[in-house]
Amino acid sequence: MSAKTTTVPERLRTILVYAGMGLLLAAFLYPLWWMVSSSFKPGSEIVTSPLSFDPRKITFDNYRAMFASVPIWTGFLNTAIILVLKGGITLVFCPLAGFAFAKYRFPGKNFLFGFILLTLMLPTLVLVIPLLLEMSVLGWVNTYQGLVLPGAIDAFSIFWMRQVIAGIPDELLEAGRLDGCSALGLYRRIVLPVIRPGLAALAVLTFLNVYNDFLWPVVVVNDESKFTLQVVLSNLSQAIASAQVDLNPASIWGQLLAATTVASIPVVILFVLLQRHFVRGILAGSTK
Amino acid sequence: MSQLAAARPAVDTGRASPRRRSRRRRWPLAPYLMILPFFLSFVAFGAYPLLFALRLSFTNWRGSGELRWIGLGNYTYLLGSSEFWASLANSGVMWLLIVPVQTIGAVAIAGALSRAGLRGRGFFRTTLIIPFVTPLIAMAQVWILLFDADFGAVNAALEAVGLPSVGWLTTTAWAKPTIALLVLWKTTGFAIVIMLAAIQGIPDEVYEAAAIDGAGSWHKFWSITVPLMRRAIAFYVVIATLGISQMFAEPYVMTKGGPYNSTVTSGLFLYNHITTSDLGLGAANSFLLVILVFLLSLVSVRLLRSKED
Repeated sequence: MSAKTTTVPERLRTILVYAGMGLLLAAFLYPLWWMVSSSFKPGSEIVTSPLSFDPRKITFDNYRAMFASVPIWTGFLNTAIILVLKGGITLVFCPLAGFAFAKYRFPGKNFLFGFILLTLMLPTLVLVIPLLLEMSVLGWVNTYQGLVLPGAIDAFSIFWMRQVIAGIPDELLEAGRLDGCSALGLYRRIVLPVIRPGLAALAVLTFLNVYNDFLWPVVVVNDESKFTLQVVLSNLSQAIASAQVDLNPASIWGQLLAATTVASIPVVILFVLLQRHFVRGILAGSTK
Repeated sequence: MSQLAAARPAVDTGRASPRRRSRRRRWPLAPYLMILPFFLSFVAFGAYPLLFALRLSFTNWRGSGELRWIGLGNYTYLLGSSEFWASLANSGVMWLLIVPVQTIGAVAIAGALSRAGLRGRGFFRTTLIIPFVTPLIAMAQVWILLFDADFGAVNAALEAVGLPSVGWLTTTAWAKPTIALLVLWKTTGFAIVIMLAAIQGIPDEVYEAAAIDGAGSWHKFWSITVPLMRRAIAFYVVIATLGISQMFAEPYVMTKGGPYNSTVTSGLFLYNHITTSDLGLGAANSFLLVILVFLLSLVSVRLLRSKED
């Protein structure tokens, strides 16, 4: 551990670690670099020389063509609406339930909490067909409520907020109780301010989940006006498959790369800015 | 207010009886109201559709018309269908291609990142997890282009060094590994963060004892760190296994299950019942998968338990 015991092979190993890390980072970042750089290349060059990048030839043609032909703003708008609604529901109801499980004692508590954990095991995939049938009976296919409501109050968020709230010292709550706070008052005046970092992490995780969600939106929506961003993107590959026969693939490739760049880079930037919350969120969910 | 367990340590002995004092009766309502929304939502969008689907799985319903009861027909049909088993086998191969490499790689990389005195650890960690936050659908599209047989960058690179080009997503031999590579690229950073957390959770004293014994860093890693990471490793293998048992979007976007159904995973197979409107059959398939996932979880929980002590 100390500097004195550092031997030459030890130092060599450190260099090897840096070299290995460098290679790994290159492999992890190359697809993203290729996506972004190619999206600014002239369409024909994306297909004829996929490995080169000449900064002097940067063009925005792909973006212009993509915004003109791909309903990407519809996708962004729908995703934003779902983010606000679903995120709001999650952030209001999941911490409250977590509070009840963390700091209250009531008959059936252990059973009910165990039940919530059990529903974690129920994969989304197997619920898809049953839920789709229910949506069609309710007339909720192609609606925002169909996109938002199923799964908005999810078991994992409750479980995780319980872990967070359990960390609040009991003395704080006792003080609030002596002040005559009601249950909601305790939650609002004492719990909420303390768990703000945990809530921020929950917001980041929920954002990523909703933004990247694909299975449910692709099943419950078939009307283009309600497509989420990811559904818009997935339909582009079909455009490619058919375009390779009758259209110029160069232009389609350029548009596709522009669209994926527009969809990915904001999330990556957001993540780098908020990564501390995010990593903490992952860890809280994994180690407990 | 005395339902606040914390506020009354005296009640903490054993299960509380809520009826000990009349004052207490005023409060049990609060926690129930707080958890009620989840249960309402679960009944509406979990339990109800599941029960409805259970009934449906014994019928030959195709999305409209009358329900005709066909008993266990759907189940026996699926269990006797080679396509159903092929989809499970495809998922199994995906598991073999992804989970062992990823878990061992993540442990090794996390170990390297935890070396004392390594600079830039936070930077490495942040960068390695970037693929994990990119939208899967977008990156699957990029993968299609990168691995395109005719115009893709990967084949261009192979040709540049004199190697033959490969039909990455168009041949049965390569389609699964190419999809697996996307999963590895996208999720390994997450595995590394979990392993890093496990390593950081190991108390320093454990290492100090070993340092007195004069153990080398390599030896220390394999004989002390890795055994103490068993829980985290088991946890990750469980999550990854459950994830792969539901894999759907990757093959849906990249190959639609082709070529020759070689990438029809159990998730995509299930989804295809929706496209063909075989809803009764799809419901039966859902329940077979529930049973499978449940068994997988049970086995995994066993593994977790046995390794805890």
